[in-house]
Amino acid sequence: MKTIVQRGNTDFYSGLLLSAIAIVALFYIRTLAIGTVLDMGPGYFPLGLALILLGMGLVLIVKGLTTAGMPAGVVHLRPLFFILLSFAAFGLLIERAGLAIAILAQVAIAHFASRESTWRVSLITGVILAAMSSIVFVWLLKLPVNVLP
Amino acid sequence: MMDVFSALGHGFSVAATPLNILFCFIGAICGTLIGVLPGLGPVATISLLLPATYALDPVGAIIMLAGIYYGAQYGGSTTAILVNIPGESTSVVTAIDGYKMALQGRAGEALAIAAIGSFIAGCFGTVVIALLGPPLAMMAQKFASPDYFSLMVLGLVSAVVLANGSAFRAIAMIFLGLLLGMVGMDINTGEARMTFGLIELSDGINFVALVMGFFGVAEVISNLENVSQRIVNHTKINSIWPSFKVLRGAWGAVTRGTVLGTLFGVLPGGGATIASFSSYALEKRVSKTPERFGNGAIEGVAGPESANNAAAQTSFVPLLTMGIPTSATMALLVGALTLHGIAPGPTIISRQPDLFWGLIASMFIGNAMLVIINLPMIGLWVRLLNVPYRILYLVIAVICAIGVYSVNNSSFDVYMTIGFTALGYILRKLDAEPAPLLMGFVLGPMVEENFRRSLITSHGDPMVFLQRPISLALLLLSAALLISIVMPSISKRRQEVFQE
Repeated sequence: MKTIVQRGNTDFYSGLLLSAIAIVALFYIRTLAIGTVLDMGPGYFPLGLALILLGMGLVLIVKGLTTAGMPAGVVHLRPLFFILLSFAAFGLLIERAGLAIAILAQVAIAHFASRESTWRVSLITGVILAAMSSIVFVWLLKLPVNVLP
Repeated sequence: MMDVFSALGHGFSVAATPLNILFCFIGAICGTLIGVLPGLGPVATISLLLPATYALDPVGAIIMLAGIYYGAQYGGSTTAILVNIPGESTSVVTAIDGYKMALQGRAGEALAIAAIGSFIAGCFGTVVIALLGPPLAMMAQKFASPDYFSLMVLGLVSAVVLANGSAFRAIAMIFLGLLLGMVGMDINTGEARMTFGLIELSDGINFVALVMGFFGVAEVISNLENVSQRIVNHTKINSIWPSFKVLRGAWGAVTRGTVLGTLFGVLPGGGATIASFSSYALEKRVSKTPERFGNGAIEGVAGPESANNAAAQTSFVPLLTMGIPTSATMALLVGALTLHGIAPGPTIISRQPDLFWGLIASMFIGNAMLVIINLPMIGLWVRLLNVPYRILYLVIAVICAIGVYSVNNSSFDVYMTIGFTALGYILRKLDAEPAPLLMGFVLGPMVEENFRRSLITSHGDPMVFLQRPISLALLLLSAALLISIVMPSISKRRQEVFQE
């Protein structure tokens, strides 16, 4: 099983993450009109929020560096990677290859996310899911997608 | 008083149509199902079914979604008692004495008392909504934008109380949520904000994609980390008809739990989980024989199960009267109402009487259904626990993907879910709860609108929030709540409650 054991604590990493998000937000807010208290522009409120978030993020970083906190949880790459990949496959295939193929592809990739799954069970589950979803979502709920390519 | 009865009568005429009874039934069944199954909570389920409700009329949709929420409170107790696995966080304390009772061969008794207590509490809580709703909404209609702003601050602070773990990080999560809520078109100027130049983001971040990522898919990934255990049901269920003696013993606990839960549900920062924990503590304190607790005391099942149902019911009060969600589930219902074109707020009762009274009437019907669904069909629910997770996670993943896609029929939303799943999973690892983020995200646009409007009317004077009495009172209440969390003695108790 592949895992990354992270050093450091939750405060430090969450501070880092929040600051990074705040900085990205600030980068995009930069082009918006800020305005004044009397005449607030579209950037006024987001700017305030992003600055507060950045401040809190920095406080967390400092706190994480100076005090011993709880260690961050272990990130399990295998389920994370395969589940996310399975969603990407679904998104890519649903309009190009139809619902049935998209579901089968998703199940086939998601199969690798668990260490306990067996091919037989996953295959049967996938086929049943594809059939049931086609009936429920396309036929009954009239989702505008093709079942087959 | 007569008004309430005639209005309720009208509500029943709405809720008792065959179609709405069916929706209520589907909601109750789904709720029980996810209540039984650990690792899938009401938040993820409601967001899963949200897209499927687009085709329905708003009343039917809300009836169904509400049914999931209170149905989960029933289902959670079943597995807590029979196999010592609380399906929901609200049933954690039920497992303490409930499972002991089951081991002693008194499972039927415990299940029956849990169901009866839940029913009584659910009905009482619903009556409270009916009585409290209209006057509160009348009051809230007098609110001006500064008052609304302060009310939302209170709602957001209450999310901090509910969150497990560091309060500082929970507040940071709220700000992150508020910031995410800003993405999209500015309401006043129509200018695109933080959309990364993507047209798909101009309407804002898709609510379902965010919720599904944070609560659905991230949860699946966390569950896959551990080796699943096979659940074996050792206990046999005796007669589900409790004796008179048992009923008499449980009666006091049911009454106390109901009252406690009703209060906790209405209060900001309350909610069903805290209500059930408090009820257990209360029962232990008032009991003449506290040593029985932990060894199969019926009060330890009756009290918390009543409390969580009463609270689940009355937590609709702030939502329906003021449009303020007090928990992640309620935040989802705000999203559901908005998607159906209903602006949540004090005008719901007067403008959408069908929705308000229909929902209340459906809660009576739903609670009655749940007793029937739960008691005679217990064997079926327990067997469901044996569906292996290696099948379940595939089903959940596929339904999540279709659910997200079907909101706007867009693959972009599916990709967005991938991003939010990754973020949600990492935040989970960093011990930051997603619930405050969701509250911030839902309330974000409303907070901004009321903030801007307040300052325009006050000509830029920020003191406006302190000058209006309602706003001042709400802000003081928020401050008191916040201080109570930060104060070491109370925060220590809060941790104890969560760790128990």
